[in-house]
Amino acid sequence: MMAAALGPPEVIAQLENAAKVLMAPPSMVNNEQRQHAEHIFLSFRKSKSPFAVCKHILETSKVDYVLFQAATAIMEAVVREWILLEKGSIESLRTFLLTYVLQRPNLQKYVREQILLAVAVIVKRGSLDKSIDCKSIFHEVSQLISSGNPTVQTLACSILTALLSEFSSSSKTSNIGLSMEFHGNCKRVFQEEDLRQIFMLTVEVLQEFSRRENLNAQMSSVFQRYLALANQVLSWNFLPPNLGRHYIAMFESSQNVLLKPTESWRETLLDSRVMELFFTVHRKIREDSDMAQDSLQCLAQLASLHGPIFPDEGSQVDYLAHFIEGLLNTINGIEIEDSEAVGISSIISNLITVFPRNVLTAIPNELFSSFVNCLTHLTCSFGRSAALEEVLDKDDMVYMEAYDKLLESWLTLVQDDKHFHKGFFTQHAVQVFNSYIQCHLAAPDGTRNLTANGVASREEEEISELQEDDRDQFSDQLASVGMLGRIAAEHCIPLLTSLLEERVTRLHGQLQRHQQQLLASPGSSTLDNKMLDDLYEDIHWLILVTGYLLADDTQGETPLIPPEIMEYSIKHSSEVDINTTLQILGSPGEKASSIPGYNRTDSVIRLLSAVLRVSEVESRAIRADLTHLLSPQMGKDIVWFLKRWAKTYLLVDEKLYDQISLPFSTAFGADTEGSQWIIGYLLQKVISNLSVWSSEQDLANDTVQLLVTLVERRERANLVIQCENWWNLAKQFASRSPPLNFLSSPVQRTLMKALVLGGFAHMDTETKQQYWTEVLQPLQQRFLRVINQENFQQMCQQEEVKQEITATLEALCGIAEATQIDNVAILFNFLMDFLTNCIGLMEVYKNTPETVNLIIEVFVEVAHKQICYLGESKAMNLYEACLTLLQVYSKNNLGRQRIDVTAEEEQYQDLLLIMELLTNLLSKEFIDFSDTDEVFRGHEPGQAANRSVSAADVVLYGVNLILPLMSQDLLKAEYSELVETLLSSQQDPVIYQRLADAFNKLTASSTPPTLDRKQKMAFLKSLEEFMANVGGLLCVK
Amino acid sequence: MAERGRGPHGSAGTPPPRSRPPEAPGGHMVGGSRQPPARRELESKPLKMADDLDFETGDAGASATFPMQCSALRKNGFVVLKGRPCKIVEMSTSKTGKHGHAKVHLVGIDIFTGKKYEDICPSTHNMDVPNIKRNDFQLIGIQDGYLSLLQDSGEVREDLRLPEGDLGKEIEQKYDCGEEILITVLSAMTEEAAVAIKAMAK
Repeated sequence: MMAAALGPPEVIAQLENAAKVLMAPPSMVNNEQRQHAEHIFLSFRKSKSPFAVCKHILETSKVDYVLFQAATAIMEAVVREWILLEKGSIESLRTFLLTYVLQRPNLQKYVREQILLAVAVIVKRGSLDKSIDCKSIFHEVSQLISSGNPTVQTLACSILTALLSEFSSSSKTSNIGLSMEFHGNCKRVFQEEDLRQIFMLTVEVLQEFSRRENLNAQMSSVFQRYLALANQVLSWNFLPPNLGRHYIAMFESSQNVLLKPTESWRETLLDSRVMELFFTVHRKIREDSDMAQDSLQCLAQLASLHGPIFPDEGSQVDYLAHFIEGLLNTINGIEIEDSEAVGISSIISNLITVFPRNVLTAIPNELFSSFVNCLTHLTCSFGRSAALEEVLDKDDMVYMEAYDKLLESWLTLVQDDKHFHKGFFTQHAVQVFNSYIQCHLAAPDGTRNLTANGVASREEEEISELQEDDRDQFSDQLASVGMLGRIAAEHCIPLLTSLLEERVTRLHGQLQRHQQQLLASPGSSTLDNKMLDDLYEDIHWLILVTGYLLADDTQGETPLIPPEIMEYSIKHSSEVDINTTLQILGSPGEKASSIPGYNRTDSVIRLLSAVLRVSEVESRAIRADLTHLLSPQMGKDIVWFLKRWAKTYLLVDEKLYDQISLPFSTAFGADTEGSQWIIGYLLQKVISNLSVWSSEQDLANDTVQLLVTLVERRERANLVIQCENWWNLAKQFASRSPPLNFLSSPVQRTLMKALVLGGFAHMDTETKQQYWTEVLQPLQQRFLRVINQENFQQMCQQEEVKQEITATLEALCGIAEATQIDNVAILFNFLMDFLTNCIGLMEVYKNTPETVNLIIEVFVEVAHKQICYLGESKAMNLYEACLTLLQVYSKNNLGRQRIDVTAEEEQYQDLLLIMELLTNLLSKEFIDFSDTDEVFRGHEPGQAANRSVSAADVVLYGVNLILPLMSQDLLKAEYSELVETLLSSQQDPVIYQRLADAFNKLTASSTPPTLDRKQKMAFLKSLEEFMANVGGLLCVK
Repeated sequence: MAERGRGPHGSAGTPPPRSRPPEAPGGHMVGGSRQPPARRELESKPLKMADDLDFETGDAGASATFPMQCSALRKNGFVVLKGRPCKIVEMSTSKTGKHGHAKVHLVGIDIFTGKKYEDICPSTHNMDVPNIKRNDFQLIGIQDGYLSLLQDSGEVREDLRLPEGDLGKEIEQKYDCGEEILITVLSAMTEEAAVAIKAMAK
């Protein structure tokens, strides 16, 4: 429109003025002017057939921004008017643009890129038309390249880069209003032919440059650009044929693209000169850290080559052998630069991940050995450098990243070891394992904190609770090292044992010296704590490695004893004296080497007992009043290890193994004195920790987790409940007295959970009766005694009454947590009585927010843990209780106004909990075990045939109840936060999208819901739809 | 008291342990320096948290605060910081060095003034926890900026100020309109304040 109304000079003047406004500093123009200027450009770009004007602008205007807009206008108009344009004029437009750029070497970069983008879009749009000859552009580009002029060569590279990114995917490309299928088809055509041509051109340039002796700055900049281009080609995400629309998007979003070209690339990429070229290039530029990134990335991509490009296994073997040769030639005998570490480890990691084992083993033996030697050498060396990085507290931990990658490669390599002859990796595993241990131990055995200038004095830094524990932060490394330790069990297990035993002795001695000094001069300590801290740190790492070596961490599954460990123990069982072994195990207070015949014991059991010895030194120090000298971290490590160990080894289920080691089955098998002893020992440890370490929450938590492990399986629980200590613990906890009531609330809940789980062990009726009388009944009795007092209403605000109520509610949460399919019937009935009373409490404590909060939490937990098991009538009971609760809550809070400082946050917490409660109830719609598992058989007479009330009905009713309580602000801020939390927990992008859509729909009709009835109805209607959407979605899932 | 000998790693602001019964000299063999008194109690009679909290005497003699081990405090619970009753709005732990002992960092908001207080102390320390009470009274009059509140006993108390700000205005307005309202009075450590209103159920 504008172009038609005004002549070209006027248009230019207008656009240049608008550009001035847009480029002006914010203080010089107002918003309106800015918007007007933007509008001018927008309508200019929409104008019909702007080609002549644009050409004119490009040729005459001196304002870069206007040139940029002209290029954009051409690009958009060409696509918009494609079918109306004559092919000849498109062709000439493209030539014009290319020539334009060529003739103006001094164009602003962003203008040049935009013009080249326009060229690329024209080529892409034409590629499926067959109307435009794409090949000509490559001809032109290759001429530019052969010109030898660096500026022109750079331009050629820019053209190719523009083409590449335009065709690379459907998401990164310019928005030219074409379908995803169109983009997909373009990409497929492009990757067969043109992409390869770009690659060939690039390779030629690289070859040329790699031959030159001296490169000046300008030339090496061109070199760098082509190297980056090569990297882009090799990282091309080859689109397979016949990939559906939905999958294209998923496919293209994948990170870490491996090189899987189509068959047509065979001659190009399997030509060994290509691979050699990239090795040569890297050798040439490896000291330039920027370029080395690209050349190593190219090599890493080549190392991941797979797919139809290989006609047969033989060609794959040849390729691999050739590649490994090239790699070894490149890195052997050089000192690796910091900037190379990650790249090199990526290459190795790709080789090991992508090439199948049988191909790996088919390359010449000597070559493969050299490769594994090289891997071993690099792993150890990167490990040492990573340790150094940690000491120096570097920001950029390149060696740590490289080390992680290599350790992961080891895990991949050795996991499927049937292709290699037995023991093939043992010596390598020993080396990597030793070096890991060495890096983590203090001098003289290790090199921890050692730098070139001696021992680095690490300042005692403040560590916040957010800092991950080493066992989680380094879990991948530890898993690899543990695996290597299993492979080399003959070496590693005795090594760990002797290192641990020696440190136990030293720790014992050091603590004794401290004690003597404290006795001699109380209050003043001149002994250095550094020695202790060093020992703790050593023991910390040794226990972590031992834990990962001896057992796997599994969730939900039954972890098995690793076969390597089992074999190792079996292999030596004939040389082992079982009695001495049991003696070593059963006397953690004595030095292992003081027991006669200690060398003829089972090594695995001796390693376990080394950890028990650490634990024993800890216990003795506590008894000797030295708790303040102990390390809570080490305490955590001990119980963490014991839990992991107990899960796997304690009361081994012999049915799960082909063969079982005699020492294991004698020491920890069912019906053995050993297992009874060790359970007693562990229980003692738990009880001691809970009283001594109540102030260390993480340690207390790990400790109760150990307790849960001991009772969650029936076989172990049966032994646990035979210990007098267990009963004492139960009684103590029920009496709510110190020290157990010093524990933090989550720990107390888990303890309650463990005590309840223990109650389902096998006992005679009388014992069971007695147990519940000790554990659960006091809870009920005390609670009823308090709430049934005549003057309860008057006393309810007294501190001790409130504490009693709080403790009961906390315990109820713990009981709910203990729910399992086989105890739900009993626990539900028990908890239901309380829930009814809790509603009464809600009334009494209506003005006490923290109690209200906790009451709702009990309901949340019960619904969370039990609803899925409940049959119809039980579920109805729970629904009713929940709705009554909400009614009472709603009645008490409608019309209440609070001003206390935390009023808003507290109300938010209530509502959040209520939403959680409703969500838990709703889960009945998707997860329901009650039909298949008749846990309530006999408990539930005469079920109605069809379900009259669904969870969704209940939830809708519940939302209706609390909606009036949500203020607008609360809804806006907190509700959307709730939604986001819910959304962010979704990992599957498809489900995420559907959920997000569902929520958008929910709020669109009535944002934000208010007290207004009409709006409320609208909201409820949307909510219903929402339930249907989400319900369907989760059912599908 | 070796744990204090090692010290809270130089944090000068650490308050001395409060309300903690003195430890018996010589002490118990078992249990370390941390909780000998607690352990003794465990073995004898249950249900006494600490010496200065008496369960039997009820309201009149109850002290304003009671001690609690730092680790047993919880977010949203209450604690005395710098002599003021506070609601705990933030609670985190840290340690000095990987093998150090836990310290608790508390942030509380004064329940009457809304002022923010912070404290950091070893997690084994005892902190004072204020006794918090909330009572609902019916409003029967407003005189000279004081509320007339009907107590359960039938007596009228007239010593509580009409709160300032929005809530105060709301109370006056509702009272003037003849609405029957309940007033929630929060009390802790000898201080009291009206903090909430609720229309009376008809």
